[in-house]
Amino acid sequence: MINDIFNILLPQVSLGFFIILQFVLGMVLSPRLYKLARIISIVGISISIVFLSTVQVEPQYFGFRNSIMSDSYTLLFDFLILLCGFFVALLTKNLIKSQKSNAHTINGILLSAIFGAMSVISANDFLTLFVSMEVLGFSSYFLIACAKGYHSKEASFKYLITSAVSTGVFLFGVSYLYGVTGSLNFTEIYSYITEQDTSILYSTASIMIVLGLVSKLAVFPFANWIADVYKGCETSILAFLSTIPKLATFGILCRLLVFPLSNSFELTFVIALSSILTAFWANTYAIREKNVKVILACSAAANSSYIFLTAGLVSVYNLSTVIFYLICYTIMNIGAFAFLNVYGDSNKMNVSDFAGYFHKNHGLAGAYAISILALAGIPITSGFIAKIYLFTAIVNSGFIFVPFLLALLLLMVVALFYYLKILLPLFDEKDKNTNIEKLKPSFSQKFVLITSAIITIILGCYPEIIIELCRFIAYNI
Amino acid sequence: MDTILSIPFLVFMPMVVSLIIISPFMISNEIIVRRFAKGIFSFHFLYTLVMLAFFNTDNPYLSQISFWGMDWIQSLGIKFAFKIDAISIILTVLTSFIFLIASISSKFVIRKNHKFYYSMLFILESAILGIFTANDMFLFFLFWELEMIPAYFLIGGDYGQRGEERTKAKNSAMKFILFTFLGSMFMLLGILLLHHYNFVANGILTATFSDITSTSIPLKIQLFISVCLLIGFGVKLPIVPLHTWLPDAHTNAVTPVSMILSGVLLKTGAYGIFRFNYKTLPDAFAKIALVLVILALINIIYIAFVTYAQKDIKRIVAYSSISNMGLILLGIAACESIALKASIFHMVAHGLVTCGLFMIVGIVYLRYKTRDIDVLSGVATFMPRLFGFAVLIVLASIGVPLFAPFVSEILTIVGVMNSELSIIVRLAAVLSLPLLILSSCYMLKFLHKSFYGEVTTDEKINDITVHEFVVLASILAGLFIFGLFPNVLLGIIGG
Repeated sequence: MINDIFNILLPQVSLGFFIILQFVLGMVLSPRLYKLARIISIVGISISIVFLSTVQVEPQYFGFRNSIMSDSYTLLFDFLILLCGFFVALLTKNLIKSQKSNAHTINGILLSAIFGAMSVISANDFLTLFVSMEVLGFSSYFLIACAKGYHSKEASFKYLITSAVSTGVFLFGVSYLYGVTGSLNFTEIYSYITEQDTSILYSTASIMIVLGLVSKLAVFPFANWIADVYKGCETSILAFLSTIPKLATFGILCRLLVFPLSNSFELTFVIALSSILTAFWANTYAIREKNVKVILACSAAANSSYIFLTAGLVSVYNLSTVIFYLICYTIMNIGAFAFLNVYGDSNKMNVSDFAGYFHKNHGLAGAYAISILALAGIPITSGFIAKIYLFTAIVNSGFIFVPFLLALLLLMVVALFYYLKILLPLFDEKDKNTNIEKLKPSFSQKFVLITSAIITIILGCYPEIIIELCRFIAYNI
Repeated sequence: MDTILSIPFLVFMPMVVSLIIISPFMISNEIIVRRFAKGIFSFHFLYTLVMLAFFNTDNPYLSQISFWGMDWIQSLGIKFAFKIDAISIILTVLTSFIFLIASISSKFVIRKNHKFYYSMLFILESAILGIFTANDMFLFFLFWELEMIPAYFLIGGDYGQRGEERTKAKNSAMKFILFTFLGSMFMLLGILLLHHYNFVANGILTATFSDITSTSIPLKIQLFISVCLLIGFGVKLPIVPLHTWLPDAHTNAVTPVSMILSGVLLKTGAYGIFRFNYKTLPDAFAKIALVLVILALINIIYIAFVTYAQKDIKRIVAYSSISNMGLILLGIAACESIALKASIFHMVAHGLVTCGLFMIVGIVYLRYKTRDIDVLSGVATFMPRLFGFAVLIVLASIGVPLFAPFVSEILTIVGVMNSELSIIVRLAAVLSLPLLILSSCYMLKFLHKSFYGEVTTDEKINDITVHEFVVLASILAGLFIFGLFPNVLLGIIGG
């Protein structure tokens, strides 16, 4: 029994060890050895991935009095989170260079955010979920604030305030649910709602829990933080912020919607409405925007809303499409932010700043173009397959959702406009005023960018294996 | 034969070549790139001709060369499958021919970014051939979306145009891509619904055209799907309220790109209506055919008047192709075998004519630096050879006997007359006759105002070069052959 717990927790435990190591080294070592911080993070994440591969997939496993669980679903999400963490750690080079004395602390906080995200995924209890959410949340506030300058602090504070409010809503919902069912455990709540009729109080609680959770995804009504926060954020931290909290939140949200919150019809309606409003807000907000970070923020919110709608129409098939979309989306998003990371750090990252980069470096500009076109859903990238697969799920859910789907499809035309707005200056004439000549992409940035582009193309051309994996996991939840 | 003639090779060879051209290993010398591209295009054209030669219903190898498929995404029933039937092979040969002459005529127009230009041209060819040969709805949609990106860069790219033209080209390229994407989103909805309801009704998870039996789907849903798809194809075709991207895109693109756009790209819309609405959803098509006939008449007559009012000679040609596409739509909408044959015939005939007209306009613009019909005058004095070609091609475009468009126009009207739909449709045939008169109005106006008249410039203007002569002569030869021996083409369509 002890062996089982140890085996399943080993990835997180090893990560915890590296978190402590980072903080201790940060106190002991001189700032001159700042490069060590990134290497330790990468090693820690790699070791964690190795331990993850030794975990047994087969039976569902519950530990700590049913408050955590492990199955193939959590393993997949853990793996995705660690993979993103690996890429983000590679991208932090510039950040820690500007913050030499804090290099170890920043990397330690990044690891603790990954730790928190992994705990969120494996939660089987609202209390565990809340605590892990806060671990992830507080790490995020510090990471956003760690860049130099006033803007990052402002962004961090905004994120903190929004998250605090949404956490309040979430906890309020949890308290209602506890009042209705007398338990905080997912399994117990699920058995309660399958046995007994549920009341309007249960639906209210479900709606509050879901809306409180999804503030991390920038979904309506907690959506408007995203533009300001992304604007003030350092690019490597953006790569973190747009993937890891999203994976963790969707991971747990899908489980919640399948088990403890599955019995509320009002919830489906609220989710559909909320996601359509988000998609509309995010896509139209980006039309007049010129800052690349803000446009990508809107794209992040819009993509969340597509997934949110599909996840809301609960079925096993939909779950498999959501997982596939998340895999594709994560990879292409990392690629897009890796390119911004090459450009360096600036709060005003204008679309015209990249003018003519294609003529300087075909490879990197091409890889970036692949990532952006994948976000827009253009063929032979994974975005195309992922969008089609996601939308088949909405069509399968019934003819009543077709108007919602049509609205999303029309909003995607708007989305194409702003994706092209980011992308096209790359192919323009070189502009004398920009500083693209000075850019020296490092090996790790090239590695992340090219790797993500290659994975995006491979998933776009031959998605069958990953789709089968997603279906296997969705049917075994 | 299956080892030499294969559809994947036909479709993907241009894409591979485009990767070779854009890769850093390719020499960036302009002449080498252009000759390499021309060589590949010629080879590809010959390849399609060989394929056409073996495409014969009596040929025992037919089944081997006309099908190719493998599983792609099994969980959605999507196959990576291609199929060539009569209409596909004709449009394939047309595509390959028009890309060849467009690449020949690129010599004087493209002054910059050669590698990028030719690689985009090859990707576009791959995508269009994919559209014409795909045997799976999602694969069709994949190529349909894929074609937008190279088309965007070909219209809006920087190929050495002057300042103002460059901005215009960029804006019209953006307009093109947004319109097309809007249409394709409706199309995606239609395809998703068709895929889902076919599964619900028949229990087979498939997206292959021949495996879809739409008759068991409720008629209301069929109609909804049909309208969604029609909006998608209607943007490309274009059907009148959705046509506004076309004149801008065709006018502001460089000449070879305009030739490709109107010669091939518009035909993908007509092909889509034929493949999806006519073949796959026949019940719903019978219901909306009357609406389509009316839309087609609006296309033909309204646009003919709009064309007459244009001042820019390239815009005249661009608008005239909308008017002609109305005739193709009328032929499909009549639900009658002769009219259908005629509309496929007209796709080829109009593809050749419009390429010739854009070529003439491009030649004039290259030398006179203006396209204004009021400024141009006396072109015939300096360029007698061009004048000869212009007269012949303009006569072909207005449907004079001996040329291919004559055959298709007459056959369309005969077919629509024979149609069993209703008296209104037959009336439509009579109403579409003004096209012949109106098209001669604007075409002869174009010829008269720009080629005749006083000589206004003192500069020495050179007559057409060998490249331009070859392009125009080959177009004219095609028009003559199909005009004199229409059975060459009609025989293939009949199969």
